[in-house]
Amino acid sequence: MPGAASTSVSSAPVRAFADPKALMAIRNLELRARVVVEGFWNGMHRSPYHGFSSEFTEYRQYSPGDDTRYLDWRLYARSDRHFLKRFEDETNLRCHLLVDQSPSMSYASLAYSKADYVRTLAATLAWFLHGQGDAVGLVSFDERVRDYLPPRHRHGHLRQLMLALERGSEGRVTNLGEPLRRVAELARKRGLMVLLSDLLTPLDELESGLARLTAAGHEVVLLQTLDPNELAFDFSRPMLFQDLESHQDVYVDPGAARGEYQRRLADHCRRAEAICQKLGAAYHRIITDQPLEKALAHFLRGRRRRNKLVRRHVRAMSV
Amino acid sequence: MNFLAPWFLLGVVAITGPIVFHLIRRSARERMPFSSLLFLRPTPPRATRRRKLEHIALLLLRCLGLLLLAIGFARPFLPQSNASPPSAEAGRQMVILLDTSASMRRDDLWSKARKIAEHYLHEAGVADRVAVVTFDQQPRPLFSFAEWSAWPLGQRPTLAATRLDAVSPSWAGTHLGLALTTAAEQFSEAGGAETSGPRDVVLISDMQDGAKLDGLQGHDWPKGVRVILERVDPKHPGNAGLEILDPAADIAADVRQARARVVNTKDSSREKFQLGWNADAGAMQVYLPPGQTRTFLAPPLPTNLSSGQLHLSGGEESFDNTAYFAASELEHVTVAYFGSESANDPDQLRYYLQRAFPETSRRVVSVLSASNSLVETSLAVIPSSLDADQVTMLSGWLKSGKAALLVLTNAAAGPTLAALTGLPDIDLADAPGDYALLGDIDFTHPIFAPFSDPRFSDFSHIHFWKHRRWTIPPNLTAHVLAKFDDGAPVLTQISIGKGNLLVLAAGWNPADSQLALSSKFLPLMQTILDWSGSAAPARSQFQIGDSVPSPTSSGAPLTWQKPDEKKVVLAAGTPFTDTDLPGIYSVTMQGSVRHFAVNVPLDESRTTPLSSDDLARLGVPLQTTADVPVVKTVETKRRALQEELENRQKLWRWLIVGLLGVALVEIMLGGWLSRRVTTVEVAA
Repeated sequence: MPGAASTSVSSAPVRAFADPKALMAIRNLELRARVVVEGFWNGMHRSPYHGFSSEFTEYRQYSPGDDTRYLDWRLYARSDRHFLKRFEDETNLRCHLLVDQSPSMSYASLAYSKADYVRTLAATLAWFLHGQGDAVGLVSFDERVRDYLPPRHRHGHLRQLMLALERGSEGRVTNLGEPLRRVAELARKRGLMVLLSDLLTPLDELESGLARLTAAGHEVVLLQTLDPNELAFDFSRPMLFQDLESHQDVYVDPGAARGEYQRRLADHCRRAEAICQKLGAAYHRIITDQPLEKALAHFLRGRRRRNKLVRRHVRAMSV
Repeated sequence: MNFLAPWFLLGVVAITGPIVFHLIRRSARERMPFSSLLFLRPTPPRATRRRKLEHIALLLLRCLGLLLLAIGFARPFLPQSNASPPSAEAGRQMVILLDTSASMRRDDLWSKARKIAEHYLHEAGVADRVAVVTFDQQPRPLFSFAEWSAWPLGQRPTLAATRLDAVSPSWAGTHLGLALTTAAEQFSEAGGAETSGPRDVVLISDMQDGAKLDGLQGHDWPKGVRVILERVDPKHPGNAGLEILDPAADIAADVRQARARVVNTKDSSREKFQLGWNADAGAMQVYLPPGQTRTFLAPPLPTNLSSGQLHLSGGEESFDNTAYFAASELEHVTVAYFGSESANDPDQLRYYLQRAFPETSRRVVSVLSASNSLVETSLAVIPSSLDADQVTMLSGWLKSGKAALLVLTNAAAGPTLAALTGLPDIDLADAPGDYALLGDIDFTHPIFAPFSDPRFSDFSHIHFWKHRRWTIPPNLTAHVLAKFDDGAPVLTQISIGKGNLLVLAAGWNPADSQLALSSKFLPLMQTILDWSGSAAPARSQFQIGDSVPSPTSSGAPLTWQKPDEKKVVLAAGTPFTDTDLPGIYSVTMQGSVRHFAVNVPLDESRTTPLSSDDLARLGVPLQTTADVPVVKTVETKRRALQEELENRQKLWRWLIVGLLGVALVEIMLGGWLSRRVTTVEVAA
């Protein structure tokens, strides 16, 4: 598999990344992505452009008319039989960035919201993948799909994607089921699905949605993005908490409710991770006060690990 | 500090509002948006947690604002220890105007009016001065300020009430305008030095619509006078009344037929009435909607009667439902002419004089040659010189109160004029020149008064070809009624004894002037005949308060009989003025009896109450507080004092200023705190 699959990431100690607060102060989304990606590349030892793009998949018996260039002469020497070596198609990666734009993403205990962070992360991934020559598409959603840009790699597409990312959403709630079902319908060719969401919604539909994507042969990466205060629930005084999606008010004393809240949130995250593991999807939790490069590194490391597993699995099957 | 409206202090309870809001607001204001309440459960507020008030300064300002508002509404005032009732310090002057017109006979209006008047009398303070004026058509002072002040202090109300006992409603109409202006004059008569206190006119009346308001427009009210209206209302509004009109010329053929004008007030609830003579069963049905006035031809008077009572039944009130009618009688008037010319010679005066008095339904004027007796003569016309006997006879007749017209047809009339006036000689001569025109005319004199209207006052086109010029001796009592353009007298009135001699300096025959041919001649002759006093038309219908002229100006005294059988003997020529009862009156003279009817004025039947706006529009200084309590007690008096104190001090204004200041500070402080809280939250 070419592109990202062949990209190697340095396992060198974590260097000083760009401060997310300073990064988010950059107004231009594309510029933000560029800063992250170039900073990230500076830390790599190898160029991302020197990967081997052809991957062996299987042997097939020679039949007259086949191209003799692909005959495995070594195997012929060992077994005296003609076999052809088959390789994976030489196509680029088709990546869909699924970005949650629901109102819950607008929560911010920092100077920027989760939505800002996720947009920057998505833009970073898009810039990175596009730089490698991969086709990147965008699906932004709340309770339904708001924007859909099919994966392409051509001049101007990245710009369009950035503009689509910058557009806000008027949605009211988060509903993962419907957007994932719609994406499964839209994305006919297999590819990479990167879901960026806080997953602060009942997970019943997440499982069915992800299952539909993995069944269609897509590789799924789930990046659960949370605000640090959503984890810490660091409020001092009792007050009315208003749900950003339902606008419902609940009087909560944080001192009394913090423990149960954190427990229930942890359960929720664990359940999401379990679903991903079950369906073979990658799961990463990203906190918005972490540097974006770190998130990108998590993503790539996870993908490399997965690709190794896949290759090992294929070889085992072919022997 | 006292309060005029202390119940408004209950508004202080509203202070609990801001306190509660400051407690509630604390939790309500802190609303924290959060991404999801999926993992949060509501926490009930801890019961042990003590609520704390926030922004104490703001709360205090708000409470202070409410406190100021409540106190302001309660109308505070500082009691003055040396303050005494206005009556004691200033001495209130009060004129009680008590309506005694016929309309006050309705229902129990009079007793109500009496009660109100007595209340005002009892409420008068020691230094107050009170006068009572009753009024119907004429105001009649019952007692003056001076009389009130002269009475012993404790007995004033009692003595005043005793005076009131003698008063009862009359049958006369209402002249409210005259009454009010008379009441205002009482203050002027009382003297300006003592008028530092309030000056009130208390008008106790039914304020009927038919009251005359003449004289109020533009009246110069004395400074500080207030008119307090005390209207008395009957239990049941509405009224219908009638009056009988004087028989008109066109129905002269039947003088027994009467025309009745019926009025039904706007607030009446009835519209069907019966109109009939005495107890006659043949009453006619009359339909008259409320608010309308119509004239009906009443059924003929029964033939056996010369007078009668026309009844209107079906109305709410009865005081004005009977109208008295006396059939008019023909009057014969004689004009004695002291000339010898033919009555058919158009060049002579008599020709025109004969035709100047056409016969009417009430009066037949006969122009007769003068005889030796002038007993039945009303006016003597002298066109030429008189002999000594005639002068003697005429002088005596004139001195008895009669009138004569001396026409100076030539310069030879000088001795006659001198003889009649009792002077030795008078310089009389024909005036030179082509012609003369009339110059100054005294239109205030009864003879020319009917011509005073600009439409009729143009005498300038009458040419006098010849006229006689004479000089009025300084010792002669004469009044020049009209002058020629050269200043010479045309018509001069000379008093002779009780009578009058009119001297006309030119004849009305065509050779002398165009007077007989002008449109002024007939009315002028009529006014001269009327002015002569003895020839007033014999009217048979009068209203209460009218002066009835004597049917004859000479002879034996006349006996006048009122409806209550009371008889009054008056000298011939003295008018009868005691027409205070409605009914049939009679006057007996030389064996003959003449009847005339006196009725309640129809305006009294218009009983719909006047609006106070009507009076205000005419400039009457009504008291600003619309509702003056009818019954005043000691409490109300004290309250009046408090109101005056409060009105003088106006402390509420300062409270409102304070409230505005507090509101301003509250706004500024609230704004500052709001900005501060926002800044702190953002910083957090």
